[in-house]
Amino acid sequence: MEYTNKEMQVIMIARQIQNGQRVIVGTGLPLVGASLAKITYAPNCCLLVESGMIDGNPLESPTSVADLRFAHKASTLGETFRYFGLQNNMLRKKSIDLGFLGGAQVDPYGNLNSTSLGDYHHPSTRFSGSGGANGIATYVDTILMMRHQKRRFVKKVDYLTSPGWIDGPDGRAKKGLPSDRGPRAVITDLGLMRFDHKTKRMYLAEYFPGVTPGIIMENTGFEIDVSRSVEAKPPEKESLELLRREVDPNRIYIGKV
Amino acid sequence: MNKLLSLSEAITTFVHDGDSLCIGGCTTNRKPYALVREIIRQGRKNLYLHGAASGGDADMLIGADCCIAYINSYCANSGYSNVSRRYRKYVEEGKLLLEDYSLDIHAALYHGAAMGFPFIAVKHMLGSDLIDKVGISEEVRSQHPKLPPKKYTIGANPFDPGDILCYIPVPSIDVALIHVQKAAPDGTCRIEGAVFNDLDMALGARHVIISCEEIVTEEEIRREPGLNQIACIVPDAIVLTPYGAHPSQVCNYYDYDRDYLRYYDTVGKEDALYQEYLEEWAIEPKDHYEYLEKLGLRRLFALNVRKGLNFAVPLNFGEER
Repeated sequence: MEYTNKEMQVIMIARQIQNGQRVIVGTGLPLVGASLAKITYAPNCCLLVESGMIDGNPLESPTSVADLRFAHKASTLGETFRYFGLQNNMLRKKSIDLGFLGGAQVDPYGNLNSTSLGDYHHPSTRFSGSGGANGIATYVDTILMMRHQKRRFVKKVDYLTSPGWIDGPDGRAKKGLPSDRGPRAVITDLGLMRFDHKTKRMYLAEYFPGVTPGIIMENTGFEIDVSRSVEAKPPEKESLELLRREVDPNRIYIGKV
Repeated sequence: MNKLLSLSEAITTFVHDGDSLCIGGCTTNRKPYALVREIIRQGRKNLYLHGAASGGDADMLIGADCCIAYINSYCANSGYSNVSRRYRKYVEEGKLLLEDYSLDIHAALYHGAAMGFPFIAVKHMLGSDLIDKVGISEEVRSQHPKLPPKKYTIGANPFDPGDILCYIPVPSIDVALIHVQKAAPDGTCRIEGAVFNDLDMALGARHVIISCEEIVTEEEIRREPGLNQIACIVPDAIVLTPYGAHPSQVCNYYDYDRDYLRYYDTVGKEDALYQEYLEEWAIEPKDHYEYLEKLGLRRLFALNVRKGLNFAVPLNFGEER
């Protein structure tokens, strides 16, 4: 069965979610992936968005974290600060399992930039800003979503909006951050990266069928270890069909074939 | 006490040049656009705008040159503009005092303001450039008494000296602009659907202007007081503005206007186009009703949400999809 890299990316997102998990999804591909997980093998996963809506079940794809579409059959729509309390209380209890974050740049330690390019005071390109990303990166295990391009995978981000592992195994503790959580993976349109247990540096774990470790190295702006990489399992036929028929029938997020 | 005011009276009375301002709603949901357009119509200047999840509301005040400073954590009409275009241009060209926080910080700051606390103590921002890069220096802040003297300070947790915390001053807000579904003349308000930061904004600001879809009687709104959020003693002005959050959405009433949001994105790309847009849609309509007449009944009714779905279904006047 033919499929696009975007579709493979969504399947890869879905594979990271386990049944019963509580996941911060935002909008776009993570929501599409989580919705697919929910109608296949993770029916009891609970989707959260940072505007404060909890366990929404959208019938139509929301375009923002505040979209009324997300509120469909939600559990509660509590005030935003109370939702952030759930994140902050991660120091005392595991209330949220996983959060998805995107950005314009990522470095080898999973530090993310979603603020600006160039000098902060005179940016060449200014973005929307942190949104809720900084707090999610502070308290919750994350999966980072990136387009795999050399200019996005950089040695040092122009602005560090959301802390990853900072500069190595003791990076977070040195800064006063909770040290036992941080980025777990990076999913791109080419493959899945993880972070080395000891060094906390990014390495290639899986490359999508049709992609090679060489292509990944060419599109990464820093040295990346590919020695442990394997080819990813292609999409299951049933998942792919459900994705096209139920989750994104208009192919807004998974793109045209 | 009757708090009903006209749109122009409410802005004339409670929003002044140089005020600090915050705006309720979230990105494309329940944004008090009628109030924002009236501020532009009246030509307010040098506002200190405090954000949270901002969208076209903040972008319009910035693009109409009403703001001297913007305290940002997010500015986009998500799904239609990934980055609000006027905000982006003003920041790239250095035409605005800008400070960055994150949504969590803004939620906590408004809650701090609602509680009357002087600062918040958090772990957020540690290890990030939200600490290492300061947008508005202490020197510049000293010339702007409406801004706290510092972005933050870092210190030990007084009860656990090994623990590092970031201390952030709670801002002093002059006016909160909030759009609700139902308000009574006495000031009691009911927000349906997500409340976001609006209740904290209302409680924390010195003055509160409410725009609403409907005025209901006190007897009606007090039948179920548990469903009301804003107490009668909190708002200063209640302004009736049906479809007053257009082009954003309002729970149980109407959806966001996709075509308008796309149009807004397009006009944001060029200075001249944007000025024409402001003239045509904010300044020339002499009041909110002229703005609605310009949109037309057909367009407004097509935005009404279908009950049970809470989003608009394409409407062909009687023809079902």
